[in-house]
Amino acid sequence: MINVLIQGLALSGLYALLAVGFTMIFSVGRVLNLAYGVYIMLGGYMYYTAVQVLGLPKIGGFAFAIASGIAFGVLTYTILVRRLEDNPVAVEIATLILAVVMQSLIILIYRPVSKSMWPVVQGVFRYEGVFVTYNLLVAMVVSWVALAGLLLFVRYTRYGRAIQAVSMDRKGAVISGIDPRQMNLATWAISGALGALAGVFFATYTQLNPSMWVGPLIVAVAVVVVGGIGSIIGSLIVAHIIGFMETFTTALIAAELRGVFTMILIIVVLVVAPKGLFGRSEL
Amino acid sequence: MDATKGLRHSIGACALLCATAAAANAQEDPVVIGFIGSMSSDVGLSTLRGAEIAIDELNAAGGVLGGRQITLVTADTFEDVTEGIKAYEYLNDVENVDFIVSGSIDDVSLGWFERMAEYRTPTLDTWTSYIGIIDMVVADYDKYKMYFMNIGNDYALATSLIDFGKDMLAGEMGWKSTVILQEDTAFGNGTGEFLAAELSSQAGVEILDQIVYDINAVDFAPIFNKAVSLDPDFLYLISSVNSQVPSSQYVKLQVPVPMTGINVAAIGRDFWDDTGGTGGGASTFSPLPASGMDHDPASQQFVDTYQERYDTRPIYPHFNGFNAYFGIKNAVAAAERAGGFAPLDAWVEEMENTDLVLEKDGQLWHRFAYWKKGEIEPRTGREYTHNLKFDITEPYDDGVPPMAIVQWYQDGQQRIIYPPKYANGEFELPPWIEQ
Amino acid sequence: MPKSQFHRYLLCWLAFGAFMCLVPLFASTGMVRVLIFANFLAIFAMSWDIISGRTGYISFGHPFLIGIAGYTTAILTRHLDAPLYVSIPLAILATLVGGALFFVPALRIRGTYFALVTLAFMELMYQLTQVIAPKITGGTRGLSGLKTIILGAVPNYYLSFFVMFAIAFCLWLIVRTRIGSALAAIRMDEEAVTALGLSTFKLKLFAFGTSAAVAGIGGALYVHYIGSIAPRALFDINFLFTILVAALLGGSGTIAGPILGAYFLTFLLEYLRPFLSGAERYLIYGAITLIVYVLEPRGLHSILERAYARIAPALARGFAR
Repeated sequence: MINVLIQGLALSGLYALLAVGFTMIFSVGRVLNLAYGVYIMLGGYMYYTAVQVLGLPKIGGFAFAIASGIAFGVLTYTILVRRLEDNPVAVEIATLILAVVMQSLIILIYRPVSKSMWPVVQGVFRYEGVFVTYNLLVAMVVSWVALAGLLLFVRYTRYGRAIQAVSMDRKGAVISGIDPRQMNLATWAISGALGALAGVFFATYTQLNPSMWVGPLIVAVAVVVVGGIGSIIGSLIVAHIIGFMETFTTALIAAELRGVFTMILIIVVLVVAPKGLFGRSEL
Repeated sequence: MDATKGLRHSIGACALLCATAAAANAQEDPVVIGFIGSMSSDVGLSTLRGAEIAIDELNAAGGVLGGRQITLVTADTFEDVTEGIKAYEYLNDVENVDFIVSGSIDDVSLGWFERMAEYRTPTLDTWTSYIGIIDMVVADYDKYKMYFMNIGNDYALATSLIDFGKDMLAGEMGWKSTVILQEDTAFGNGTGEFLAAELSSQAGVEILDQIVYDINAVDFAPIFNKAVSLDPDFLYLISSVNSQVPSSQYVKLQVPVPMTGINVAAIGRDFWDDTGGTGGGASTFSPLPASGMDHDPASQQFVDTYQERYDTRPIYPHFNGFNAYFGIKNAVAAAERAGGFAPLDAWVEEMENTDLVLEKDGQLWHRFAYWKKGEIEPRTGREYTHNLKFDITEPYDDGVPPMAIVQWYQDGQQRIIYPPKYANGEFELPPWIEQ
Repeated sequence: MPKSQFHRYLLCWLAFGAFMCLVPLFASTGMVRVLIFANFLAIFAMSWDIISGRTGYISFGHPFLIGIAGYTTAILTRHLDAPLYVSIPLAILATLVGGALFFVPALRIRGTYFALVTLAFMELMYQLTQVIAPKITGGTRGLSGLKTIILGAVPNYYLSFFVMFAIAFCLWLIVRTRIGSALAAIRMDEEAVTALGLSTFKLKLFAFGTSAAVAGIGGALYVHYIGSIAPRALFDINFLFTILVAALLGGSGTIAGPILGAYFLTFLLEYLRPFLSGAERYLIYGAITLIVYVLEPRGLHSILERAYARIAPALARGFAR
């Protein structure tokens, strides 16, 4: 039982980090970025290229991954989303197509063969027959630090409060002299960075594969849908619900049903409580 | 063997002499061979490259069927069923192929299978081992007789795995209990069911649990935890899709119980780089001719040519590269004897009469022949029409066993540990497990 | 709409139909095979467009509907040995039930959330067909060796084309009525439609039912043309991507648009085959669509229409002279 708890906690931490960038864009720009999974994939592949192909140190790998996440986030926003901004449905369609295009690009460059990544931190934590990799524990800690940092940034810095203002009341923000486009751009950049960072851990945890963007995207979608619009705390709670649900399903029910409950959760919540379980709260 | 080589050389010399006539003829009317399969996976590329080498050798030796050159055309399936059907149609309708060599996975092969019966194009598969396809050929020979599967089917393979369990795992290692980790695919479930039933009755290994996992699962920690908590002597992995995930997490988690079985990712030599050099102690089944085995001269020559010619992934041909190379040689030889790939019946008859025996040190080392209609395999007591002729009874003097067990060592070497006839290495466990 | 315009469009449809009937006389078998896939893709794209292009309820789960039809008829013919004239109508009926499943969430949510629910439906179906009763569904390998309606490229071409053409023509007649304009009004402003005293419930039910029926017809015939069905080929983002892209590139909210898109893409892919194999083709496929979508969200149909509007007067003058 204790191992299920520890693993559930570690997995949930990773899921929270995976989802938070997606949540941010949704709360600030009111659009669903279905190309978000690509940031995760990009993070993994760039880290791999830097560390395992070019032989850079790990910190260089992180820098490379995060920089490319930011660049791609900014590009998605300026080239695609800004042109379609008033129409969330158009953004949803266009980003889905973009995701498939990026998937093809990754296949073209890296081939469709799955690649294993070396863990960021070596070693295994063992306790009473429980084993969890240090890599996953580090991912969990990084996730908490990143989320706490984000919360502080949004609540206590000028820039962060401006972003929050746009997310709560766009017109009001414009009146008080905030440029929503600039705030949106910043959000997409932060989202890209968070996605890529999560991607490095996700990929070391699993593997690199051109279709690896789908799984995390579904988790992120579930977190947003169940958690309601853009609450960081809500996302954190839901990430834990999903993480624990998956771990319990695998350990106690049947491993092959793991993803089924996440899908059912999305459907049920959207049909029964379209505003999410936690409704709208501050960012 | 030497005689055929000599013959090929003299044909080559002859062709050089009358080069002008042959070339003119060849340009007018080439023989077209189609490749269908995934052109970006290691396995698909192995088949494609095996075909390229075979065709270049045949062309260099003066062409086939009266000096005609062979052209190879390719159609990518993207490992997608619908794309596979389109690719099969393309090869027939647009390229008018005479013969098709396939590096498709089983659901893709099943997809184009009915198209094959419609076009009646001679087709040789090198990767799919699904017994259901062979059963269709058995059940409706006239409809599907143009099909040959140049790899032992998965039923034969599972039988062979039981022997490995009995002789090696239970016999030599003294292991008495296991947890089976099987992927949730038709292959995984079929093999898993068969193994669970036979391992206990034939090898006396107790099955403590059978964990079925989703092929998209990314996190194996809970699965390994659950398995280890039952305290088995070893874990039996059955994984053909995404097998890097369980195998790499097994290493990352340093799971304290030995694991063997089917781990398709570990078959190819690229596994070593893929795991960043942490794959030592892994073992998996592989169809023959496997990477890591000592080859007969003809197969070794193929490997040498392959390595000289290609320096990208896969750096060493997978088993199906050999299957494609020798399979095409067989198919073309049958066409020579029958006077062409058409009429179909004549070619099928000659293909059924094919018997290419490769020897090493005077011993049968590999054999590319096919089960005929009505022929019964003695041990399982059933028909395997047009499947590669395999032998599942020691001492394997009538054909090769459907598979061997490949072992990876700490220094990145790959060797065969089972069956004894082909073994050139010892069973070894990962370094973190106390033996 | 003036009567003369109606006649002109009618003439266009007839000319298109007549031309396509003649295609097998001069086209190679390869091209005919390609056209069969284009016809099926056109049916799926039209089905998608009835819900998504007209009413604005974006479906990311269309493969789910097509898959229900496909699996129903595949299972009935395989395990119960049902004849096709029984299994195909039953499959269409089953798809209507599936469409109703789509319809329930549509009563409460719309826009981006609706797309997510339908996407979840598709992913759920993908997992369930493998997990639940693999003996019946064939698990990951699916079912193959299914009955075919007719054999050969040309007969199948005529079958697929007539079905596609009949669907397109019926849809065209429907959207010309007041129902068509009411559906478009739902996309613009659902409340306004209610305010006019129209029942959005009935209108949406009609649109969803029509879309599901078309998907059902297409899906059932498709698996009996292909001869096999597998979860990985159906409940897949790439399949969804192909349908979406065909409808959007051609021009959503029209009848001719999805047909145009389906033909354009199928031909593009097949002609690129000898030059580019592998992932490059999908890259180009998606990139072209994105560019067109961002520059002209109403697709090639609208671009061609504008070009025609510019050229037509010049042509008329030319003829007059």
